[in-house]
Amino acid sequence: MPILILALMAAGVIMLISASKDMSTYSTFSQVKRSGETSKVVGVLAKDKPMYYNAEENPNLFRFYMTDQQGEVHEVTLQAPKPQDFELSEQVVATGSFVGDEFVASSILMKCPSKYKNEEVLVRSNM
Amino acid sequence: MQDIQYIGEHLLPGRLGHFLILTAFVTALLAILAFRKKVTHPDDASWLRLGRIAWGIHSFSILAVIGLIFYIMVSQMYEYQYAWDHVSADLPMKYIFSAFWEGQEGSFLLWMFWHVVLGSVVVLTAKRWEPGVMTWLSMIQLVLVSMIAGVYFADDFRMGSSPFLLLRDTMQAPIFNNPNYLSLIEGNGLNPLLQNYWMTIHPPTLFLGFASVTIPFCFAMTGLWEKEHTAWLKPVMPWTLFSAGILGLGILMGGAWAYEALSFGGYWAWDPVENMSLVPWIVLLAALHGNFIARHTGLSIRTTYIFYILSFLLVVYSTFLTRSGILGEESVHAFTEMGLEWQLVGFIFLFLLSGIYFLVSRNKSIPVVLKEEQIQSREFWMFVGSMVLMFSAILITFSTSIPVWNKLVDVYGSLMGKGDMTPYHKAMPLDPIDHHNRFQLWNAVLLSIISGVGLLLRFGAMGWAEYKPRFLKHVGTSVVLGLGVAYLFSLWIELPSWQYIVLLIAASFGIVSNINYMINFAKGRLTSMAAAFAHGGFALMLVGIMVSGLNKRTLSENRFAQEGLAEGLDVGNNAFLIKDLPMYMNNYWVTYKSDTLEGLTRKYEVEFVKVNESGDTVEHFTTHPNILYDRELTKVATANPNTKRYLDRDVFTFISGLPPEQQDRANLEKIDSSLDYKLHFLAPGMTRKVGSYNIRLDSILLGTNHREYDREEDDLVLSGIVTVTDSAGTRSEKIYPTLIVRKGLLYSLTDQVNDFNIRGRLKASALDSLFPMDDKLAYEPLVIKSGETKTWNDLALTLQGIDKTIDHPNYRSMEGDIAIQAVVSIKGKDNKTHIARPLYFIRDGSPLNMKAYVPDIGLHMKLERIDPEKEEFHLYLARLSDTPLLPLEIAQDAPRNDYIVLEAILFPGINLFWAGSLIMLMGMFIGLYKRLRKT
Repeated sequence: MPILILALMAAGVIMLISASKDMSTYSTFSQVKRSGETSKVVGVLAKDKPMYYNAEENPNLFRFYMTDQQGEVHEVTLQAPKPQDFELSEQVVATGSFVGDEFVASSILMKCPSKYKNEEVLVRSNM
Repeated sequence: MQDIQYIGEHLLPGRLGHFLILTAFVTALLAILAFRKKVTHPDDASWLRLGRIAWGIHSFSILAVIGLIFYIMVSQMYEYQYAWDHVSADLPMKYIFSAFWEGQEGSFLLWMFWHVVLGSVVVLTAKRWEPGVMTWLSMIQLVLVSMIAGVYFADDFRMGSSPFLLLRDTMQAPIFNNPNYLSLIEGNGLNPLLQNYWMTIHPPTLFLGFASVTIPFCFAMTGLWEKEHTAWLKPVMPWTLFSAGILGLGILMGGAWAYEALSFGGYWAWDPVENMSLVPWIVLLAALHGNFIARHTGLSIRTTYIFYILSFLLVVYSTFLTRSGILGEESVHAFTEMGLEWQLVGFIFLFLLSGIYFLVSRNKSIPVVLKEEQIQSREFWMFVGSMVLMFSAILITFSTSIPVWNKLVDVYGSLMGKGDMTPYHKAMPLDPIDHHNRFQLWNAVLLSIISGVGLLLRFGAMGWAEYKPRFLKHVGTSVVLGLGVAYLFSLWIELPSWQYIVLLIAASFGIVSNINYMINFAKGRLTSMAAAFAHGGFALMLVGIMVSGLNKRTLSENRFAQEGLAEGLDVGNNAFLIKDLPMYMNNYWVTYKSDTLEGLTRKYEVEFVKVNESGDTVEHFTTHPNILYDRELTKVATANPNTKRYLDRDVFTFISGLPPEQQDRANLEKIDSSLDYKLHFLAPGMTRKVGSYNIRLDSILLGTNHREYDREEDDLVLSGIVTVTDSAGTRSEKIYPTLIVRKGLLYSLTDQVNDFNIRGRLKASALDSLFPMDDKLAYEPLVIKSGETKTWNDLALTLQGIDKTIDHPNYRSMEGDIAIQAVVSIKGKDNKTHIARPLYFIRDGSPLNMKAYVPDIGLHMKLERIDPEKEEFHLYLARLSDTPLLPLEIAQDAPRNDYIVLEAILFPGINLFWAGSLIMLMGMFIGLYKRLRKT
């Protein structure tokens, strides 16, 4: 019995270590570009910059500009339709990586205040 | 600051409510002391009586508080912040319950309400355990009351958030300087995402589940405190089964809600709030199995204590994560913070420390059986199973608690003066679904196998020598049949990797082994099958998860991605559908057919047709996804999916995009003003060439055929009937650009031909030129008799007769009116005939008239006098110009407004998931029934 418990605990520790490797970090655009890996960029929608979505041309392509926590503004490409009320978002977390000079997000999570309190919408694309 | 005398406020409910909350607090405290005294003085019945009275008053207070809040909400007393925040004038009464528990205070009260109910059951049934269990329940209830107490200490420090706060005490706003502010404010209302029946049934079920975890915890703590380590194991069992069943049901409802109403397309997203409601359930199951082992063998008593305590602590931890706002950046369920973090943390630590204290201090007195568990015993496998369940819970909690880790890092940093600690923060896994599935898959494999094998073994390995051959036979048969079933499933389910093959085999084994048990061991006795149902249901649920998850297919996939024509950026899950234009996707012809507005909801009709090679229709169904607008019908509030359900699969459809002009009225103006309009002056009958199209004004109307026009009284409407034809002359469409004057305001309704991208709009000056004020007109008289024809300028006018039926749009008949209309036909140069019907009526002895206007020829006609003797009708005619010109603006770059962006997902076999999980829960309820029947 004690051996079994030890074996189970060992397996548990191994799994926890493996699980912790999956943890990501919040990054800035420049950090993600340098590392070349997928990561999460937290920031706000750059409301003064244009947003691009033309359903007729491609319903699954949305482009917008985001300011990360270091103040860098960069364009983000999301392969999904433009989320409802995106202009009202107070915070955006974009998960993605750089493809060349372009930041391609596989999913975004946005925080919308509205009068319905702090409610969040998670938008994913082709998962 | 002078005291303002506010008008219309009802302050009594609030004051009464505050008083009742304090009563609930004090009586809970009293109950703790009284029940505890009964424990230490078991022969003194008066303490028990006192405890029950205290609990009774406490229960009444809680019910009264809930009643008062409902009263405040139903009466729409917006002076109270809670009513203002969750209720509005147009909220249907059926959602009043949802509004009640939408807020944190309401959900705390819901939790307390269930404790009151369960506590009464304890008082009635727990017998010897009542004082101990009620002591602990009262302690927990005391802490919960403190969450809504709203008591201030020393100005800054607040304990709890009271549901009876006045709105003007919770926010600073200039409106509160107005004594009559109540007449000016409107309620905020219930979030439209929560206006459905799920919000009415899911929270109470889930909270009953959470509340019911408390009772086994109280039993465990009582056993520890009183050093009665074995006797409590029997009476607690029905509570544990009830709790596991109800909590499981509540969690499943959450999944069903997500599946039915949310856009994400599925029933489980491994969202932190979802995870933390699942973890206590898993640990409770571990406790349940530990309880079985302890009762039958005397082993694992300490483990059972630990599991029960942990299951309750995890419920408190889960409420902390959800309510403290700490999950702000990671969860779609993030609720607003209430500033209760320190209280919630205190809640966790209070009971964590109590648990540790009692476990440590009673450790020596807990009976430990020295015999080793044999591998061929049922308890061995149940113990391993409990460990696997704990594993599963630990893994999930670990990943979900990253924000807590970050917070602790921050606290450490500020204590050590290290400054900004954000570089040390971690974030959730990038793909939570993949992350959790990877580990939980192995837990599922082990649990399937263990639960299948375990049931075939006996406690204490009784009679193993004789039993062994039979055991091996049954295990062997189950393995073989299981492999067969797995093979059959594998023909249906696409398994992407070897791990899933293993899972499928394990699940199939689980299903077969448990059915085998039901047939050969339980022999048809329902009550003996509880475990088999639970385990078999779990295994079936796994198969359901595999097939609906692994084989889930997006029907609305972008074609180009499939054909590999475009690289990288052309992948997509949504399809662009133009109205009435079928589109081929994944073997279906899909057509957006129509949409209808019903109240605040626009229901869309999307048709799916599957055709085989010979052209026969093999499948045909329609779904109705809809869009909910906000109260003023100006903006989209939310989109709701609609699912076509078959026995063996579901087709989930959702509208993920609409033309911007339909999403928000504000976009109408924005987009319209961005178009390149060119102005044309057209007389009826004239044609102009615009780009590669011909525009012809057929006629000018005082009224309109525009399909979006809804007539209101006293509207003045002007429109043009315009035909747009392509250059080849093959196709022509009509549009009806319209101007409306309503209550002094001017509205413009544009109209367009989507396929041509042509939009038409009338200039406002059309009203001046075509509808001049009467004083600008120079009227000329014309006297005419019935049947006569007379010429006026280039027009031939014939008075055809009179009509007593009045159809003049501006005429409101009053009693005593005598009214007639003259029917005058007019023939112009172009030989076209028009009819004018000027109105003449006598009201209160005075002659009055209303003119007729023929816009196509710009003719104004009044019937001012009738001479009955001479049978003469005195008409007055006026015309601004011979050929009225309609100022029509045409743009050629109008974006389409007749499409939807649709997401359609196929979920094969999803009913196996629902069936499996319901069977699993049914097993728990059968177990509960079995134990209740015995007592």
